[in-house]
Amino acid sequence: MTLHAPECAASVQPGQFVHLRVATGSDIILRRPFSIHRAYGERVEILYQILGTGTLLMAEKPVGDESMDLVGPLGHGWRAPEGIAHALFVTGGLGAAPLGMLAEQLAAHGVAVSVAMGAPTKERLVARELFENVARQVLVATDDGSDGEHGFVTVPAARLLAEERFDVVYTCGPEPMQRAIAALAADAGVPCQISLERLMACGIGACLSCVVLTVDGLKRACVDGPVFDAAEVTWKS
Amino acid sequence: MSGSIDMRVNLAGLELRNPVTVASGTFASGREFADFVDLSRLGAIVTKGVSLGPWAGNASPRIAETASGMLNSIGLQNPGVEAFVVKDLAWLAENAATTPVIVNVSGHSVEEYAAVIERLEDESGVAGYEVNISCPNVDAGGMAFGSECAPAAAVTRACRAVTKRPMLVKLSPNVTDIVSIAQSVEAEGADGLSLVNTLLGMAIDAETRKPLLARVVGGLSGPAIKPVALRMVWQVSNAVAIPIIGMGGVMNATDAVEFMLAGATAVAVGTANFVDPTVTMRVVDGLVEYCHRHGVTDVRDLIGGLEA
Ligand SMILES: Cc1cc2nc3c(=O)[nH]c(=O)nc-3n(C[C@H](O)[C@H](O)[C@H](O)COP(=O)(O)OP(=O)(O)OC[C@H]3O[C@@H](n4cnc5c(N)ncnc54)[C@H](O)[C@@H]3O)c2cc1C
Ligand SMILES: Cc1cc2nc3c(=O)[nH]c(=O)nc-3n(C[C@H](O)[C@H](O)[C@H](O)COP(=O)(O)O)c2cc1C
Ligand code: FES
Repeated sequence: MTLHAPECAASVQPGQFVHLRVATGSDIILRRPFSIHRAYGERVEILYQILGTGTLLMAEKPVGDESMDLVGPLGHGWRAPEGIAHALFVTGGLGAAPLGMLAEQLAAHGVAVSVAMGAPTKERLVARELFENVARQVLVATDDGSDGEHGFVTVPAARLLAEERFDVVYTCGPEPMQRAIAALAADAGVPCQISLERLMACGIGACLSCVVLTVDGLKRACVDGPVFDAAEVTWKS
Repeated sequence: MSGSIDMRVNLAGLELRNPVTVASGTFASGREFADFVDLSRLGAIVTKGVSLGPWAGNASPRIAETASGMLNSIGLQNPGVEAFVVKDLAWLAENAATTPVIVNVSGHSVEEYAAVIERLEDESGVAGYEVNISCPNVDAGGMAFGSECAPAAAVTRACRAVTKRPMLVKLSPNVTDIVSIAQSVEAEGADGLSLVNTLLGMAIDAETRKPLLARVVGGLSGPAIKPVALRMVWQVSNAVAIPIIGMGGVMNATDAVEFMLAGATAVAVGTANFVDPTVTMRVVDGLVEYCHRHGVTDVRDLIGGLEA
C-alpha cells in the first residue's frame, strides 16, 4: 500500500514505522503500526498482510481514499556504522518490509549486501525483486520447499556466516527466527540488529504497552526500538 | 481565541486556564506529547503513576483492543519517585512551567502513599496530587484501597496528614456504591475527586482459547466506559461538595461538555491520546466553540448544568 505523506517521506530513516488510523468512529479505535518499506517523493510504501479487522478494512480501501491518517515516521531505525563493507540481511516473511529502504541505501553507498530470505511458502516471500536488484546474492528458503531451499532460512544464513566475512547482520521476522539468527551472528562474532514487534497503543512512548526486556531493564519498542542490538535483548527462556 | 469566554475553573484550589486535563498513565509526563501538543494550553498535566521505589509492571501482552475500548494491564510500571523528580519534574518545570502539574501517586501500603507525597513536598514544580486508590492492575495496593470505605479513608487520612497542597483522590468504578466511598474520602479531607479509573474486564481469543492479556484481567478504558463514568460523576457530584475531574472515554469536546453537565469541574482525556496525540488541543478548541454556539460566557456555568 502506498500512502501520500510528504512530511513523513521527507524525513524517514530506514527501519522506522508509521502508526495508521484505519477507521474512525467504529469499534476499532487504536492505530496500527506498520514498517515503512520504502519512501519516494511524497509517498511512503508499506507491505502488510491481512491479519484481523484493521488490516481487512485497509485492504478494502479504494485507491485515493482519504479516511486514513498517519502519525510518523516513528521509532528508532537501523544503525549503519561507518566503514561497513559487507552486510547480511536475514528476513522471515513480512520481516522483509522494514529492510527495503536500508538495502537500497547501503547498496547506493557501495556496501555489499547479501540476503537470506525465508517464508512458509513461495507466495509469502516479499520484496524479493527489490533485494535482487540491489544485493550481491539472494538465497531463498521456504518451509514447504515451494521455492529455493527446503527448510528454515537459518540454514542458508548459517552457511553464509560460516563462509563469508560480514560486518553486520540485520534481521526481521518471527521472534524465534530472530533469536536463532542473533545466536548465529553472536557465534560468528558479527554484530546483529533486530526489529521487534510488540503490541502498541500509543506508538510514541507514553503507554508502556510495548516493553522489551533488555540488559538495561525495560525499554519501549516504539521509541527505543523497534530496532535493537541483539546483544541488548534479554530473551524469555 | 477564547474571546470573551472565561474558560478558567478552580479545581480544589488550583487555578486552571481551562477545564481540560489528561488522564494519568496516558500522557506519561508530557514529554512524549511535546511534538503534538502545546502543553501551555492544557488546564493541567496529570502525570503517570509514581511510587516510592521502581515498579516493573506486569508481563506482556499488556493491552488488548475491545469493542470501542481497550484493556490494559500495564501495572503502574514507573522508575520511582527519585527518578521521577530528576527526570520528569525537571523537564516539566522547564517546558510546561505555566501549567499546573498534578502528580498521580501509587503505593503498596498506606505508608508508601504518604512517603511519595512527603518526598514531593519540597519540590516546587508540584501543584497538587492525585492519589490513585483504584488501579485494577496491581496485586497489593491499588484497587484494594479503593474498594471499601475504611481503607479508602485510611489512605486519604495518611496523605492529608503530610500535605496542605490540593489533593484529589481517584476512585474505582469497580464498586457497588461509589457514592459512599466518595463521601468517606471527602470526610477525610480530600480536596477533590477523580472519576473514574478503568473498569475491570477481560478478553479471550476463541481460536487459541487463551486470554489476550498475560495477567488475564485488565482495566477497560475508552468510549466503551463513558456511560458508566458519566453516571458515576453525576451520582457523586450530587452527594459531595468537592470538585470532580470527570474521565472515561472522552474523545472530543462534546464528551467533555457531557461530563461537565453531569457535574465535573474539569475533564481528563485518556485513551484518546493514543488514537490522536493532538486530541487535547481539539477538545480545548471545541469547548470554546461550544460555549460560543450556546452563548455561554463562563465555562463554569456548564458544571452540573444537566437539565433533568
Ligand atoms: C513496529 C511494527 C511494525 C510492523 N510492521 C508491519 C508490516 O510492515 N507489515 C505488516 O503486515 N504488519 C506489521 N506489523 C504488525 C501489524 O501492526 C499488525 O499485523 C496489525 O496491527 C494487525 O491489525 P489487525 O487489526 O488486522 O489485527 P487485530 O488482531 O484485529 O489487531 C488488534 C490490535 O492488536 C494490534 N496488533 C495486532 N497484531 C499485532 C502485531 N503483530 N504487532 C503489533 N500490533 C499488533 C493492533 O494494532 C491492534 O491494536 C508491525 C508491527 C509493529 C509493532
Ligand atoms: C495505558 C493506561 C495506563 C493507565 N495508568 C494509570 C495510572 O498510572 N494511574 C491512574 O490513576 N490511572 C491510570 N489509567 C487510568 C486512566 O487514567 C483513566 O482513568 C482511564 O483510562 C479512563 O479514561 P479514558 O477512558 O479516557 O482512558 C491508565 C489507563 C490506561 C489506558
Ligand atoms: S506503544 Fe505506547 S509506549 Fe510504546
